[in-house]
Amino acid sequence: MKTAWTLAALCALAVPANAETFRWASQTDPNTMDPHAGNSAPVLGFLNNVYEGLVRRDRDMQIEPALATSWEPIGDGEGWRFTLREGVTFHDGADFTAEDVVFSYERASSPEADTASWFSSVTEVMAPDDYTVEMRTSAPNPIFPDSIANWMIMDKGWAEANDVTRPNIEQGNYATLNTNGTGAYRVAERDPALKTVLVPFENWWGEDRGNVTEAIFTPIDNSATAVAALLSGEVDMINPVPVQDADRLDQAEGVELKRGVEARVMMFGFSQDKDTLVGGDGSVEGNPFKDPRVRRAVAHAINVPAILQTIMRGSAEPAAQLVSPAMSGYSESLSERPALDVEAARALLAEAGYPDGFRFLLKCPNDRYINDDSVCQATVAMLAQIGLEAQLDAIPVRNYWPELRADEYDMYLLGWSPGTFDAEHPFRFLVHTPQENIGTWNFGGYSNPRVDELIPAIQSEIDPEARQAMLDEVAGIVQEDMVYVPLYVQPLLWGTATNIDLTQREDNFFILRWVDVR
Amino acid sequence: MLAYIIRRVGQSILVLLFTGLVAFSMFSFVGDPIDNMLGQERTQADVERLRTELGLDRPFVVQYYKFLEQAVQGNFGLSYRQGRPVGEILLERAPATLELAFVSGLLALVGGIGLGIFTAIRRQGWAANVIMTVSLIGVSLPTFLIGILLIYLFSVELGWLPSFGRGEVTQIGGWSTGFLTASGLKALILPAITLGLYQMTLIMRLVRTEMLEVLRMDYIRFARARGIRERAINFRHALKNTLVPVITITGLQLGSIIAFAIITETVFQWPGVGLLFINAIQFVDIPVMAAYLMMISVMFVGINLIVDMLYFAIDPRLRVDRTAGGH
Repeated sequence: MKTAWTLAALCALAVPANAETFRWASQTDPNTMDPHAGNSAPVLGFLNNVYEGLVRRDRDMQIEPALATSWEPIGDGEGWRFTLREGVTFHDGADFTAEDVVFSYERASSPEADTASWFSSVTEVMAPDDYTVEMRTSAPNPIFPDSIANWMIMDKGWAEANDVTRPNIEQGNYATLNTNGTGAYRVAERDPALKTVLVPFENWWGEDRGNVTEAIFTPIDNSATAVAALLSGEVDMINPVPVQDADRLDQAEGVELKRGVEARVMMFGFSQDKDTLVGGDGSVEGNPFKDPRVRRAVAHAINVPAILQTIMRGSAEPAAQLVSPAMSGYSESLSERPALDVEAARALLAEAGYPDGFRFLLKCPNDRYINDDSVCQATVAMLAQIGLEAQLDAIPVRNYWPELRADEYDMYLLGWSPGTFDAEHPFRFLVHTPQENIGTWNFGGYSNPRVDELIPAIQSEIDPEARQAMLDEVAGIVQEDMVYVPLYVQPLLWGTATNIDLTQREDNFFILRWVDVR
Repeated sequence: MLAYIIRRVGQSILVLLFTGLVAFSMFSFVGDPIDNMLGQERTQADVERLRTELGLDRPFVVQYYKFLEQAVQGNFGLSYRQGRPVGEILLERAPATLELAFVSGLLALVGGIGLGIFTAIRRQGWAANVIMTVSLIGVSLPTFLIGILLIYLFSVELGWLPSFGRGEVTQIGGWSTGFLTASGLKALILPAITLGLYQMTLIMRLVRTEMLEVLRMDYIRFARARGIRERAINFRHALKNTLVPVITITGLQLGSIIAFAIITETVFQWPGVGLLFINAIQFVDIPVMAAYLMMISVMFVGINLIVDMLYFAIDPRLRVDRTAGGH
């Protein structure tokens, strides 16, 4: 008995007096702990607490120094030179030096990695001394530092000792389950898909860190269960809150709903390179969606404010471009969405030669975006008003992308979150003519030589004004041709206990450093 | 006897092989795992490389053959989602499901038989009527809804029991048990009720009907005439004869308790094999799906095989050598 008391006393001593345990739940567990093996929001968002990059994003998504204290272009746009922070150690105690950066570049840009596309313009990475790294690019790349905020640095010695010098997506390796970063928190316990425990890293270089002394992450698949766990006080934060529960959390005691906007823009895309409709009934010739006037008619027929009011419960903002206004490179002059105008939509259809409308296949996911299938159902009703008969097929996301790649759609729903937080990102993936490494998400096959010419020019333009002018031009073309019909910026809905202070960043990353338990 | 057993085992293996074939032919409709494994900035070359590496470019029959080839050596491949051996993950998750199934089964059996006897003996009483009405709800409400209702009542409103998870577990060898901690036991209550409720009402109704039947029998009437106490008649004579069909049904239901734990485990985020399977479907984690389906079919086929053999032992008519008779 006495030993038990002594043990208990010892345990009590080991825990700091103001121990703050923070428990949070989300729907998806990061499927790997290897920062170069997963290029998805759940993985990178989680690992941002454990690993760090040369640069990082602050609360407003602006780039700020992390493992690099400063950076400057080399010569006339031949690359970038980073000055590294001194005195930084990894969780296992090893020193952070330029060698680790070079190694992490080799690892993250290898064909085995899922992050190789970030480095497509990089030709060479050198370390002139222990605290300087030079990254050469094939062409000037003004937004390069912005595009590597999620490139996380791994210790070379640790990777070699554990035989994980390359990521292994399909078979996993030591780095899939274990971590060794420089971040503010280290992984104390990892039980894949069940529980992950983070504790503060005592020797972290930074200061901007909240008072959490232990953070426990549990994935909870079922959103109703997650809401119940928050209401009963078993977790302190859940992300996301289902839209239909938002009002209830607003009124419930002890919990709070935190609303924000995500960087993700929701839009409708169209099949533009096929000669017939997949879901047509033969009443019209050819593929009407090839005609920009038909796409514009769709834009005029969709009542976005009504969708936001009823389906999103007023939590989202309408969108006019492929990126939200908060992204860099947003075109201020093109912020007007096509107004709801059923007459104009009918007139456009008649002008294009389809006065009686036509029948087509509308493909939507039903578990990918917030209330995605409801948005599509509402759209079907709205399009019916101008005589367009949409056959809705709402399917799970795991079948969705294969169906889109197999051209099984005439119109489809897409949400895009720009990884670089720059307007150029969706142009590169969604608007450029589809090719091996570019335009990879341009399912509809839109192709415009002028756009294809401008995108590489934008990527290598150093002068901000000239760059913005070209971005404006592409945005103008995209709007003019109505390549996509932008709908709204997806909301961020997090539920927390009332004693939690945190910051919602637009990329939907949850940063533990910014959490304070009151 | 031996020939009979060999024949039944042979048939069972055929059923298993066929189940696996059907499962593999359907995996391609579940979705494309590559979309979950690679991010949005991937190139077509990355996709092709991974597809080849995983063997997804080959016809499903070949994939199935590869799976079988490894499975007979005890290797179920690596999970796409976790990058760990599937066998290891299944073993890790199995205790959670088995403990839950055990407690639910026990609850269903004890509760079902007790209430069944009660409602049979006091069949005119108001309490029996209430129980019968409530049991209708148990049969007709979906498990999912029952779970959510219990969570809202006992976790959110009353704050007595946890809404998710397994509480604190203790490791004994390779087995993680929730039986030894207070939080582990508390966490078991709601999922066990949710999972066992349907079976409990089923057993209760079965016991009640059988018991009413038996109580009408002549030997019960004679027992009463002899002046044997009511208690002894109910429990010694009637109940014993009621239990034969109940045991048969319970045995068969045990398999379905494990198989249908999927829904309960999802509602309560219970870390068992059912939740693992649901996660695997969402992620199109083919090795996990394949191993889970094989495991469940082995279990069902195994139970059926045992039942068949028990019949053989119990029913003498099956023992007659068919070829020798010649009517």
